[in-house]
Amino acid sequence: MEFDYTPSELMAVAGARELRDREVVAVGLGLPVVASFLAKQTHAPNMTILFELGVINPQPVDQGVGLADPRVWYRANVLSSFVDILGEVLHRGRVDVGFLGGLEVDQFGNLNTSLLGEPKGKFRHMIGSGGANDIASCAKRTIIIMRHEERKLRKAISFITSPGYITGNDSRSKAGLAGGPSRVITDKAIFSFHPETKKMMLASIHPGITLEEVLGTMGFSPVVPEHVPFTEPPSGEQIRLIREVIDPKRFYMG
Amino acid sequence: MTKISTLSDAVASIPSGAHLALSGFAITRCTMAFSREVIRQGIKNLTISQCVGAMDADMLVGAGAVKRLIYGGGSLDRFGRLNCVNRGIEDGSLVADEYSSLSVAFRYLAGALGVPFMPIRSLRGSDLMVQLKERSVSDLANITDPFTGEDWPVLKPLLPDVAVVQVQFSDEEGNACIIGPRWDNNEQVRASQRTIVIAEHVVTCETICQTPEQTTIPGLFVSHVVELPFAAHPTSVYRSYDYDAEHIQVYVEATRTPESFQLFLDKYVYGVKDHWEYLELVGGLQHLSSLKADPVMGY
Repeated sequence: MEFDYTPSELMAVAGARELRDREVVAVGLGLPVVASFLAKQTHAPNMTILFELGVINPQPVDQGVGLADPRVWYRANVLSSFVDILGEVLHRGRVDVGFLGGLEVDQFGNLNTSLLGEPKGKFRHMIGSGGANDIASCAKRTIIIMRHEERKLRKAISFITSPGYITGNDSRSKAGLAGGPSRVITDKAIFSFHPETKKMMLASIHPGITLEEVLGTMGFSPVVPEHVPFTEPPSGEQIRLIREVIDPKRFYMG
Repeated sequence: MTKISTLSDAVASIPSGAHLALSGFAITRCTMAFSREVIRQGIKNLTISQCVGAMDADMLVGAGAVKRLIYGGGSLDRFGRLNCVNRGIEDGSLVADEYSSLSVAFRYLAGALGVPFMPIRSLRGSDLMVQLKERSVSDLANITDPFTGEDWPVLKPLLPDVAVVQVQFSDEEGNACIIGPRWDNNEQVRASQRTIVIAEHVVTCETICQTPEQTTIPGLFVSHVVELPFAAHPTSVYRSYDYDAEHIQVYVEATRTPESFQLFLDKYVYGVKDHWEYLELVGGLQHLSSLKADPVMGY
């Protein structure tokens, strides 16, 4: 089947659809930036976008190599600090949605951005937390965006950098944490979490993808409801905004 | 009182074994000229802290000047990972206390306020917490909230010996302005015993007093003011100059092995006598002018 959008564009649009007007959203660079800028330019004009190092509502005209690139701070409402954004906004409880990505995620939405291998044996150290653990711990809900690959959707991950539902059931609230992941968006499907067991649960499959393809390329079995709808495809206007306005050089979309 | 100093005198005030808080964030406002001079002077066994690991710390680790790193993870953004830091963690030569960024910021804030500890919601249920608690001397504990009875992780204050902060401008007493986001720099300064300000430009006290609401570092915290243009090269200084993408790539390539990084140090650190020779080596005024920021865009 031929589509007039790419899997990355569908992921960004699916991310944007999760965001509501007036919400406060903490984002890192890459697909989450595209998703949140897209939401703000369409159905959520009053959304507040935060970057952890101290940036509120930037309006970049050039794409940046990361949060440390002044290109992504351009025309912000506020330039401040970690204590301001991660402390007085996030830790205070005012962030509605946090976007997270990672090297690995398990069936309870726990994320690893720290290392691959054996933490007490041989391993490769990668990036670590940054503000990810803080966002996973303090946001009212989080949305996880990652590629749908067996090595990334794992039964057991090497290291929990950012907690999801920890060991499932009520283990997250017992650890003293509210919130938790509400969605996992991959290039094949969208997952939610089972209301009691907190296991990942298939919510929709992207057009052109089969259930076998979804289940055959992940390291654990998600809960599969009887009826699984297809993910709504992006609109022409959403694709136009991504390609012409938000990421014209395809810097974030790859 | 003037605190104007040469880079070499400011660095010479730091004893081996000191704890330094560095102002870099990934590839912006990193204390690069300072780090190169620390390496040239052979200062060792440092403890380095910052909320997000940056190129200034990575270079010091790669040169063998660091014993312990207290940080919240980090990278060189799209240019790559902190290869020296990662290698040190993997082979056990670097003691790394790995937190989330807000945890390190809260440790500085506790230090800055002079409170005995800081409660935090983060870290719960994570392997970061498990790992930190396994340390022989843990800087993390749990406490019962006396008002609600809830259990809270608490962090020990960070009290660095010296904060080293790259700023756009300062007066000679160290009343300094950071333009743009400040990430953890305000808390680093206030938690530390004293601060070394590295300023792109030293201005008169009269200039500072025209807009004192823009002063981010009061001179009372500052021991040395070093005026040095392009001191953060190859990283950026907002509204002053952009990062030098080509040179950052040279750095990333060089850090892939200890041998190639030694060659890099031989050329760009040991091979020059000071910052001025370094600036000539990386392209001189002609190349550096091409990095100058547009005043409106800031990069």
